[in-house]
Amino acid sequence: MKSRFALTLLSLWAVLTLNFLLPRWLPGDPLAALLDPDSSSYVYNAEVRGALEAYYGLDRPLGEQYAGYLTGALSGDLGRSIRLNQPVTDLLREHLPWTLLLTLSALIAASLLGVIAGSEAAWRRRSPVDRALVVVSVVASNAPVFFTGMILLILFGVELRWLPLAGGRTPFARYDNTLAQVRDYGAHLLLPALTLTLALVGSKFLLVRNSVIGVLGEDFMLVARAKGLPPRRLKRNHALRNAIVPFVHHLAAHAAFAITGALFIETLFQYPGMGRLIFESVVARDYPVIQGVFLVVSVLVLGANLLADWLTARLDPRTQEN
Amino acid sequence: MTAPLLAVENLRVTFALPDDPHTAIRAVDGVSFDLAAGQSLAIVGETGSGKTTLARALLGLHPAGAVAGNIRLDGRELTALDEQGWRPIRWRRIALAVQNAGTAFDPVQRAGDQIAEPLREHLGLSGSDAWARALDLAGEMGLGERHLRSYPHQLSGGEKQRLMLAMALSCAPDILIVDEPTSGQDMLTRAKMLALLDRVRQDTGISLLLISHDLAAVARLADRVAVLYAGKLAEVGPARDVLQRPRHPYTWGLLNAYPNMSTARDLRGVRGGLPDPAHPPAGCRFHPRCTQAVDECRRVDPPLQPVRDRLVACHLGGLQTLLRVDRIAKTFSLNGNGFRVEAVRDASLDVLEGEVVAVIGETGSGKTTLGRLVAGMLDPESGAIAFREQDVSDLSGAALKSVRRQVQLIPQDPFDTVSPRLTVAEIVREPLDVQRIGAPADRVAAVREALAAVGLPDGDSFLTRRPHELSGGQLQRVVIARALVLEPKLIVADEPVSMLDASEQAKLINLLKDIQNERGMGLLLISHDVALVRKVADRIVVMRDGAIVESGPASRVVTRPQHAYTRALLGAAPSFDWFEDPGPASGA
Amino acid sequence: MQITLPQAARAVRRPHAPAAIRRLAASLGGEGVIGLALLGAFAIVGIAAPLLAPYDPADFSGAPLERPSAGHRLGTNDVGQDILSELIVGARISLAVAIGAAGGAVLLGLLVGGVAGYAGGWLDTALMRLVDVMMALPQLPLLILVTALLGAGLGQMALVFAALFWPGMARVIRAQVLSLRRRGYVAQARSFGAGPVYILRRHILPAIGPLIVFGLVTAAGRAVVFEAGLAFLGLGDPTAKSWGLMMRYALNLPGLLLTDRWLWWLLPPGLCITLLILALNLLGIGLENHLDPRLKRP
Ligand code: SF4
Repeated sequence: MKSRFALTLLSLWAVLTLNFLLPRWLPGDPLAALLDPDSSSYVYNAEVRGALEAYYGLDRPLGEQYAGYLTGALSGDLGRSIRLNQPVTDLLREHLPWTLLLTLSALIAASLLGVIAGSEAAWRRRSPVDRALVVVSVVASNAPVFFTGMILLILFGVELRWLPLAGGRTPFARYDNTLAQVRDYGAHLLLPALTLTLALVGSKFLLVRNSVIGVLGEDFMLVARAKGLPPRRLKRNHALRNAIVPFVHHLAAHAAFAITGALFIETLFQYPGMGRLIFESVVARDYPVIQGVFLVVSVLVLGANLLADWLTARLDPRTQEN
Repeated sequence: MTAPLLAVENLRVTFALPDDPHTAIRAVDGVSFDLAAGQSLAIVGETGSGKTTLARALLGLHPAGAVAGNIRLDGRELTALDEQGWRPIRWRRIALAVQNAGTAFDPVQRAGDQIAEPLREHLGLSGSDAWARALDLAGEMGLGERHLRSYPHQLSGGEKQRLMLAMALSCAPDILIVDEPTSGQDMLTRAKMLALLDRVRQDTGISLLLISHDLAAVARLADRVAVLYAGKLAEVGPARDVLQRPRHPYTWGLLNAYPNMSTARDLRGVRGGLPDPAHPPAGCRFHPRCTQAVDECRRVDPPLQPVRDRLVACHLGGLQTLLRVDRIAKTFSLNGNGFRVEAVRDASLDVLEGEVVAVIGETGSGKTTLGRLVAGMLDPESGAIAFREQDVSDLSGAALKSVRRQVQLIPQDPFDTVSPRLTVAEIVREPLDVQRIGAPADRVAAVREALAAVGLPDGDSFLTRRPHELSGGQLQRVVIARALVLEPKLIVADEPVSMLDASEQAKLINLLKDIQNERGMGLLLISHDVALVRKVADRIVVMRDGAIVESGPASRVVTRPQHAYTRALLGAAPSFDWFEDPGPASGA
Repeated sequence: MQITLPQAARAVRRPHAPAAIRRLAASLGGEGVIGLALLGAFAIVGIAAPLLAPYDPADFSGAPLERPSAGHRLGTNDVGQDILSELIVGARISLAVAIGAAGGAVLLGLLVGGVAGYAGGWLDTALMRLVDVMMALPQLPLLILVTALLGAGLGQMALVFAALFWPGMARVIRAQVLSLRRRGYVAQARSFGAGPVYILRRHILPAIGPLIVFGLVTAAGRAVVFEAGLAFLGLGDPTAKSWGLMMRYALNLPGLLLTDRWLWWLLPPGLCITLLILALNLLGIGLENHLDPRLKRP
C-alpha cells in the first residue's frame, strides 16, 4: 500500500510534468503559434492573448516557467480558456460534476449487473443462457461507445421518442419541485448512462464469470459444499466473496475506461460534461482547457487506482501481510 | 449381524470428458463395501484409480446423474437425494478432510469462522456459541483463539491440517472421510498427522474412511483395506492380512513398490501404467500389467469373490501358488555301504507368482538337494511337490514334460553345465531343440530374444562364440538365457552368482529381478549369502542339516530371527562395521 | 549452417496443409478462428482496396446525399463522394495505423523489457518504475492532448500510439526473460557450450514468440479503437478518411439522425470498426488460451 501511494505520487508528478512539457516540446511550436500573428491559430483577442502570454511565460527561462506552472497548478490556476475567456478552473468546476454523475452511475449499474449476471452465469456455465451472455458481452464490450450510443440514440430518442436527444437537462426549464428536477436530469442521464453501462458491463461480466468459475474449482469450495451449506451461502459467502477481489482490483482500469468512454458519449449526446468541453476545445485549439481536462482526468484515474488498491487490500487478507 | 453404518453397493460414477462430451469415463465402476460403526476402512490405489471420485460420491458432490448404484447410511438410501436432500447428510453425518489442508480453507475468511460455519448451519448454534464450540475443537487439536482469528495464509501447514480436522469433526459426524492425509508431507509431519488421526479415532469412536496410497498410513489406521484399481475393487480384507499376504497381483505389486523401513529389499514398480480411463481394457482391467494373466482374463471381468479370509477379484483366486513343496524327504547312501545321509528331511515351502523365496544355509545343509528335487532332477522319497496345484508325481507324458519345461534350474557352476564344444547359439537353443518347440527359424529368434533379455549381444558374432571365449558373468548369463527360452514360470537358481565377483553378482541379481518383474515368475534362490539374499528375497527359508529350521517374510527373518542358527548365519554375514570397531589404529 | 539447412527442409516438408490448419484451429479455439477469419477478410479488403472500390473516394462521383442505388450502393455523402468506396479505402487506414502502432509498441516493449530483464539492477528498477507510471496514466486524455498539439498525420498517430502502448509489452517480456534466466534449460544449454545465438533461437524466441504475437494483436486492437475515437473527436488526419472520420462527418450533417440516411452513412463505418476490433480481440482471446494453458477457460 505504501509503495502504491508512492507510485501514485510519482505518477501525479509525471502527469504534471508531461502537461508542462508536451506543449513546449512537441514539434510545431503550437503555443508560439497562438501568439504569432502570421499563424492560423493566432489569438486576436488582445486580452486573452495577454493572459496566455502571462500563463505560459514562454519568454522566461524554462526552469522559471516550470516553477511558475507548478505553483499555479497546485493552487488551482490552470490558465484561461482562449475560446471562452474564462479561467480553466471555472470551466472544469462547471463540467466535472456532469462527467462524474454519468461515470459513477454507469460504473455502479455496470458493476451490479456484471457481478450478478457474471456469478449466475458461472454457476450455470455452459448453459444456453451463459453462452448467450458471453457472446453478447464480447460483442458489446468491443463496439466503440460512440457507435452503441448512436444506435441507442436513434432507437430511443429518434424512433421511439422516449427520451430526450441531447443535453444534460431541459434548457431554460424551471422546476416546481425537486422531484421534477430529478426526473428531468434522470431522463437526460438515462441514455448516456445506458450507453456507458453497456460498454462497461461486458468486461465486468466476463471478469466476474471467469473468476467465479476459477473459484468454483478450488478445494475450499468443495469443502464448503461438503459442509452442507445452502447454495445461497456458497454463492455469496465463498464464491463471490473470493471472485470479487480481482473484480475490485480491476475497478481502477474500469474507471479509466469509463471516464474515457464518458468523454465520447458526452460528445455524442451533447452532455455538458468534460467530454463536451474537450470536444469544443479541440475544435478551437483551446490548449489550456485541453490541458486542464487532461490533468483532472489523470487525477481522477490515479485516485481510482489508489482507491481500488485500498479496497482490494481490505477485501483480501492475503495482501495485508507486512 | 446388525446393518452396517454405511453400505455401498455397486456404485458407479460416470463422467463425460469436458472437451469431448461423447466419451464417458467410468471413474468408479461397480464398487461395493460396508463400513460398520467405529470401524476404519482404507481405500488404497494409485493416483487415478478413482479413490477421490469415490470419496466425493459418498457426499453427493458429483453432478446429478453421474452416480448410480446404492449408498445406504443407516439403511437409508442416499443416491436418490438431490442437492437439498444431501445437505443434512453432509458434515453432520459424513464429513470430509481433503488432501491438501492448505487449500481447504477459503483464503478470505478467518479459519474460526469457517469452523463455526457448519455448526451454525447444522446445529443451529448462535454465532457466539458456534465460536465457543470451534474454540473447544481447536483446543483439542492443541490450538487456540489466535489460530481461529487468523486467516488461512497466516497459519502454518501443520496448523491448517489440525484446524481442518477440527472443522471436519465440528458436527460430530458418524463418518470421517480422510483423503490422502499424508501425501506430500515430510516424514515427521506425516507421523504427527497419523498420530492425531489415531487419537481422534480412539477418542471419538468415529468411523474412518481413509483414502490413501500411503500403505504405512493404512497399516496404522485401518481395520480393513479395499484395493481399488481403475475404478474397480481388486481385493478387500483385513488390513493386516492384506498388507502382509496380498492375494491380488495388483496389491502385491503395490506393496513391492512401497518403500518402508522394515525391509532392505529394493523397490519395484508394477510394470506398465494405469489404463486410459476412457477405454479400459476388456476382461480383467489389470490384465495388461498382470504377469499371470491367462486367456480368460482378457475376455471376462473377474467378480469380487471370497477367497479364504477375504474378497479377491481374480480368475485365478489371486496370486498363484506356483510351487508347493509338502514334507518331502530325500536320503542318499554313501559309498554303497548302507550308510545313509538324510539330505532333506520333512521340508515344506511355497513359492507364489512373482515371489522370490530364498533358501539359505551352509554347505551341506541340503539346500542344493532341495533345489534339485524341485527342479525334477531328483525324485523325493516321500512327500509331494505340486506345481500350480498339480502333484508332479501324478503326471506323466506331455503333462509332465510341460511342467518340466516351466521349471528351470540355473546351476551354480555354469562351466559344468555347458558343453565346451557348442556355440552360444547352440547352448541357448538346446532346450528348444530337445522339446521340439517351434520351427528352426523361430528358435533362432527366441535365442536372440533371450540373449537380449539377459543383456547380452544378440549379433551373429556372439552367437558363434564358444564357452571358453566368454567371461564368467557372460557365461552365467548365457545359462540364464538358456533357462528363459522355455518361458519358465519358476526358476530355481542354485548359488547363481557365487562364482562371480561382487560387481557381477550385483548386476546379475538385479537382472534376475528385472526379468521377474517383466515376465512374472517365481524364483527359488538357493544361497549361502545372507547379505545378498536380503536385497531380493520376499521370504527366507533357513535350512540346516536337511531340515527347515525357520521361515518367514524376509524382513522379519533378517531383523528378528527366531532360531539360534539363523542368528548365527546373520552374525557371520559381511558388514562394514568400521564405526563400532575402534580397530588397532585408533586404539593406539 | 549445415545444421540449419536440413532443419529448414524438414520444417517445410512437415505440415500437411489441412493438418496444420486443423492444429492451428485447435490451438486457437473457436474465438480465435473467428477472429482470424474476420481479420483476414479485412486484410484482403484493405490490400485490394483500389481494385474493389467502385470509385476514387475523393472524386465527387455523384450528386450530394444520393440514396443507395445501383451506381452508389451506399449512396453518396454530403459532397457527392461514394460512401462504399470510402468504406473500402477506410479499411486500409485503420489497418495501416494498427500495424504501425502495434509494430512500434512491440519493438519498444521488447527493447525495454529485454534490457530490464537482462540488465537487472538499478536500470531494471528505473525502467519498471517508468512502466508503472506510464500504465497508471490515462491514455485517451493524453492522446487527445498530444494529437491536439501535434495535429496528427497517420504516421505521427501510429508513433504516438506506439509510444503509449509499449509498457504492457515491456512488462510481460521482462517477466518472461527473468523466468527464462532462472529456468534450468538455458543454463543447461550453456553448460553444453551453446552460444548466445543458439540460445536466442532455440530457447528465447520460442518462449517470447507467442508473447510477441499476442502483444501485436492487442496493441493493434487498441490502436483501431483510439484511431477511430480520435477521428471521431475531430483529431484524426483530415486527409485520410478513416471510418471514424466518416462517422464524424456524417454526424456533422444537421438532422442526420432524423432521416434514414444514417442507415447507409453512419451504420456501415460503425459496424466495420466494431467488427475489426472484435476480430482482433477474439484473436487475442484465442492466442491467450494458447499462450498459457492455465488461462484456458473451463
Ligand atoms: S490373473 Fe487374470 S484375473 Fe487375476 S489379476 Fe491377473 S489378469 Fe486379473
